[in-house]
Amino acid sequence: MIKNIFFSVLFLISASASAAPSLTGVDANTAVDPETGIRLPAGFKATVFADDVGRLRHIVVADNGWLYGALARRKEGMGAVAIYDPDGDGKSNERIYFAKGIQGTGMGIYDGYLYFSTDVSVLRWKLPERGAPEGIPELIAYGFNEERQHAAKSFALDGMGSLYVNVGAPSNACMKEMRKKGSPGMRPCPILKNYGGIWKFDASKQDQDQMKDGLLFATGIRNAMAIDWNPHANSLYITPHGRDSLLELFPELYTAEQSAELPAEELHKVSEGADMGWPYSYYDQFKKERMVMPEYGGDGETVATEGQQPIAAFPGHWAPNDMLFARKATMPAEYHTGAFIGFHGSWNRAPLPQQGYRIAYVPMDSAGNVTGDWVTFADGFAGVDVIKSPRDAKHRPMGLAEGADGALYVSSLMSGGRVWKITYEGK
Amino acid sequence: MKVNNGRRLQGAAAAVCVGALLVAVPLADVAGTTINDIAVIGHNSAASEPAGELLYATNCGGCHQADGGGVPMMQPQLIGAPRANDSKGGVIDMILFGSNAIEPGTSEFSNEMPSLSQLSDKEIALIVSYVRTHFENNGGPVTADDVSKRRTQ
Repeated sequence: MIKNIFFSVLFLISASASAAPSLTGVDANTAVDPETGIRLPAGFKATVFADDVGRLRHIVVADNGWLYGALARRKEGMGAVAIYDPDGDGKSNERIYFAKGIQGTGMGIYDGYLYFSTDVSVLRWKLPERGAPEGIPELIAYGFNEERQHAAKSFALDGMGSLYVNVGAPSNACMKEMRKKGSPGMRPCPILKNYGGIWKFDASKQDQDQMKDGLLFATGIRNAMAIDWNPHANSLYITPHGRDSLLELFPELYTAEQSAELPAEELHKVSEGADMGWPYSYYDQFKKERMVMPEYGGDGETVATEGQQPIAAFPGHWAPNDMLFARKATMPAEYHTGAFIGFHGSWNRAPLPQQGYRIAYVPMDSAGNVTGDWVTFADGFAGVDVIKSPRDAKHRPMGLAEGADGALYVSSLMSGGRVWKITYEGK
Repeated sequence: MKVNNGRRLQGAAAAVCVGALLVAVPLADVAGTTINDIAVIGHNSAASEPAGELLYATNCGGCHQADGGGVPMMQPQLIGAPRANDSKGGVIDMILFGSNAIEPGTSEFSNEMPSLSQLSDKEIALIVSYVRTHFENNGGPVTADDVSKRRTQ
């Protein structure tokens, strides 16, 4: 076990060390900033933009500087918040809660509208000149079944009139009996008909039903909380959550160490008709192959034919909860066209310590090809060195957004809910 | 399901190493216990606590965590949990029936719990007793007979 942990550590170090010289990420020898609790690469600075906001999920920033955040749990009866920093010192002074009686996950802006998703719908309000939107929102997409597991409808807007909605699978590996040891996987997996994929809608049309009006754009996706449109390569990108519990369900096939590292969290470029492989296959970042899922007869060694290859892979269970391509090009050049990925942090690596709890950056060229190894862009969120249990973490990254000035905003729903603002200040 | 599986025990022993639990017995004793042994150990035996801890680590700890702390918004914490301090059936039903033991729409946690009814009455009694006497809970132990009654209800 010690040997395996040693190898995992080596794997992580080498993933950072072999990146392009100009892209090094955080320096492990520097200290976490005591005021903000996080650590950034040289030249970057953070402020606590807002504290005690509530259970924040995804966020978006309007051109006028107002930040809008969706809340997973209502605060003061409201499921969204508008936050503003009038004096521009990086710390907000104005806050207005809105969206009475609902709560949700997704936030986006397109064509003068503010988009918001609940677990069963995508809504939009006319984007106000300042503050919170008013009036009854328009219903854009609906018909998503109410679920508990993987119910959040994260979404991406391509800026050209289309809306892409993640419809997570209310399942771990499409077993006949949910997460029950020994229960086989169903083939074909029946829930792929209306779950486990990305549905495409007209961003401007009201009252679109998922199954009647939506297009099943891509499938084989367990739950893609991290989803963004890459405006440089004009393509959709996702980093779904991989399956849980290989050790609990298949102790005869996977060691505790393998179950902690596998399966990889996968970054995918998603074209229409793409299949990411769930629940029939998963990606093994050590073998660099897709493997047959054990519920479907896999033994950890059998290579699968179903599912496309990811373009980057991360250690298992890190829980990618948002993804962002920068559009404003105010950071150094190496950050202009790659993907920032916010990892909420794991719970399913026990008995090993939990990991993730950071923002990673994947360098890419303007065509959307990965050009080097990913680096850690921000860490320290958890506030402790060794995370034995997720509740020990003070903060866990959740949503990412870019301001009009190119600043990066990060949300956390822990410890009352916080937003950081990260700016590049130069060397 | 009474499999004497070395790897499974390694995993559980590792949980003991990294977990925040205070173990009252030497680790070697835990690692030397097999699932077959556990299946024949009654909860009154001196070995019931490590046996319960081992079964908890193998079957529950992955989600509810070694410290019983759960995962915010996903899996409930077992520390000071009402069910673990109330009538005997509360925790037994969760293990036998999973999320189906809870009235739909009343849970604030997003993950669903599977039924672990494949475990024997004795194994379930050991786990339930462990949970009801650890993690700041004072519900007290239950017997295999208690589990059997809930199973056939």
